Amino acid sequence: MSETGIFPNDWLELQRKYWESWTELSRKASGAAAPAINPWEAALDQWWKALSPAAPELARDFMGKLMDQGKAFFALAEGYTKNLATMPAGLGSGDGWTALSRTLEDLQKAFTGAVTGGVQEGDDASRRLMAFWELPYDNWQRMVSSLSLVPGDVLRNMPHAHLNQALSAPGLGYTREEQAQYQDLLRRGIEYQQALQEYLQFFSGLGVKSVGRMRDFLEAQDKPIESARALYDSWVSCCEQVYGEEVKTPEYARINGRLINAQMAVKQRLAIIVDEALGAMNMPTRSELRTLQDRLQETRREYKALRGEVEALKRQLGGEPRPALVRTAAAPAAAPKKAPAARRTAAKPAPAKGSARTPAK
Amino acid sequence: MLTIDIRPDKLSEEMLDYSRKLGQGMENLMNAGHIDTGVTPREAVYREDKLVLYRYQTPEGITPQAVPLLIVYALVNRPYMTDIQENRSTIKGLLATGQDVYLIDWGYPDQADRALTLDDYINGYIDRCVDHIREAHGVDQINILGICQGGAFSLCYSALHPDKVKNLVTMVTPVDFKTPDNLLSAWVQNVDVDLAVDTMGNIPGELLNWTFLSLKPFSLTGQKYVNMVDLLGDPEQVKNFLRMEKWIFDSPDQAGETFRQFIKDFYQHNGFIEGGVVIGGREVDLKAITCPILNIYALQDHLVPPDASRALKGRTGSPDYTELAFPGGHIGIYVSGKAQKEVTPAIGKWLNARS
Repeated sequence: MSETGIFPNDWLELQRKYWESWTELSRKASGAAAPAINPWEAALDQWWKALSPAAPELARDFMGKLMDQGKAFFALAEGYTKNLATMPAGLGSGDGWTALSRTLEDLQKAFTGAVTGGVQEGDDASRRLMAFWELPYDNWQRMVSSLSLVPGDVLRNMPHAHLNQALSAPGLGYTREEQAQYQDLLRRGIEYQQALQEYLQFFSGLGVKSVGRMRDFLEAQDKPIESARALYDSWVSCCEQVYGEEVKTPEYARINGRLINAQMAVKQRLAIIVDEALGAMNMPTRSELRTLQDRLQETRREYKALRGEVEALKRQLGGEPRPALVRTAAAPAAAPKKAPAARRTAAKPAPAKGSARTPAK
Repeated sequence: MLTIDIRPDKLSEEMLDYSRKLGQGMENLMNAGHIDTGVTPREAVYREDKLVLYRYQTPEGITPQAVPLLIVYALVNRPYMTDIQENRSTIKGLLATGQDVYLIDWGYPDQADRALTLDDYINGYIDRCVDHIREAHGVDQINILGICQGGAFSLCYSALHPDKVKNLVTMVTPVDFKTPDNLLSAWVQNVDVDLAVDTMGNIPGELLNWTFLSLKPFSLTGQKYVNMVDLLGDPEQVKNFLRMEKWIFDSPDQAGETFRQFIKDFYQHNGFIEGGVVIGGREVDLKAITCPILNIYALQDHLVPPDASRALKGRTGSPDYTELAFPGGHIGIYVSGKAQKEVTPAIGKWLNARS
């Protein structure tokens, strides 16, 4: 492959031939051979794997997102084009709408299959567009992974059918406390898995709604759709509308809250187990550090309050000058390091609230 | 019936054009280099823990007002949004109107800051910054401009220390946290904040990023990057976009105890409306604010809906209350060209008439 600039020219040429093939197909009677698989994804993925380690970090993340979203955009155009190409009578005034309707039907079938648990064979474009509705889950998974040493979906497929019963059995013997810890961890893991399933189920249902909304939206418009970008923007707008309506509901607030709380509950139990292990190794634990932090912060508050009172008293007695002042606007220059200015009022100590609350062991 | 006018040859050309722009634009992206933030000269005049108080340099030929202005930004996100680039700087705009501008940069809290409370921030850090400025300028009162959560802090501060505040400006500041269109508030009602803070200590910036992006996931994590392709051909626009990207994802962690109190007192119990916010042993009463107030909100704000800000009207003791509605979003009110022309001059004019 020859390369000039960032993208190989050969790749662009392949793209051109791919899209021209679909164009040509739409002019012929049905029965003509479909063009080869779109080289977009395979070639781009290969190129990106080679290039991304050298890209600056900020640009790398951004370019990755650009790739992912470009695929969704192409998928919509591809789906429409394929349906347009299958019109038996070639181009006609109603064929654009028919092709669009078929594209939407394909999407609806793909989403319905996902909701009922069936795997829909067939249109790659529809499956890629379905993936659009995985964005909220994808965002959650990335966030959780960034806060954890384990992947965000590590508990996703954890079996729990008969596990609850086993976890209800009390621990026995000298290590019963430890057993109880791990039982609790597993129970919390199961709860998180169930919360995640409920979250995913909520969104899979919305995909179907968004297709219906797209159809209604387009029928109500008085401006024609003239480009793939306009089609894509309409799709995004409909998805965003459906999403916005549904996530306002008390049901979603409950599901969202359950997911976050379940994740926190797992992390809480893990933190306690880690603390136990650290304590056994005679190393500082998080719980101990937090206690020290709270005591230190309280001491600092009291110190600052006392210092403020002392400086106020000194000024009252007239013996001490004010702390060095920063020069005003007429002479902007680097300010010397100075102590914090005196407090005018003594702050009352904050209520002692900071100690970590851990469940009774 | 809608007319579909997507001809296959047009579609083919559109897809090729997209591919071409992406390919050519990638080079600008790879060569974008270091993304700098903040353009206006400033000096650090006061430091305490991770806090830095900056004073911005007054431009040549402008005599600053006698009453200085302190900007109190939110703890969430970084304050360089107000000075993000040369032609999109709220700071520059305020300096041009004659304000002597200070800004609190809260820094990046770590677990050592976990135990900081609202009292520490408001009666501690903010009060000491205000005292520093008062002493430096030899004035009894200063002007305060609070932004978003910083506006909520500024309202608390002005209620607890009314003798030190001459004029108060609040920008996109939530007052009523339970308006029907407030998604963040709806979502947080079922979150066990105590569990989250007890478990994590500080609340990670990544969790907040996820929450904000979840307000409009398809636009903010999807469509935005498709639209970006149209800008890739211009290196300057690429840098501007990357600067915004940096800011959006540059979220500091939140000190745990402050987060606990803020969410519980404001988002869950709607403290400004229902009462019961106690900071440093004193209850916050908005009626104690008697200075002039300029309340600015954004009409398309999905983070702080307009009604959440408008709720301030009639709830303070101020005899001089003014509202300014801006036709834009939560971010656009700082970075849009329209905001530079409308919002900062309006703030400057309002302050100058009262300073």
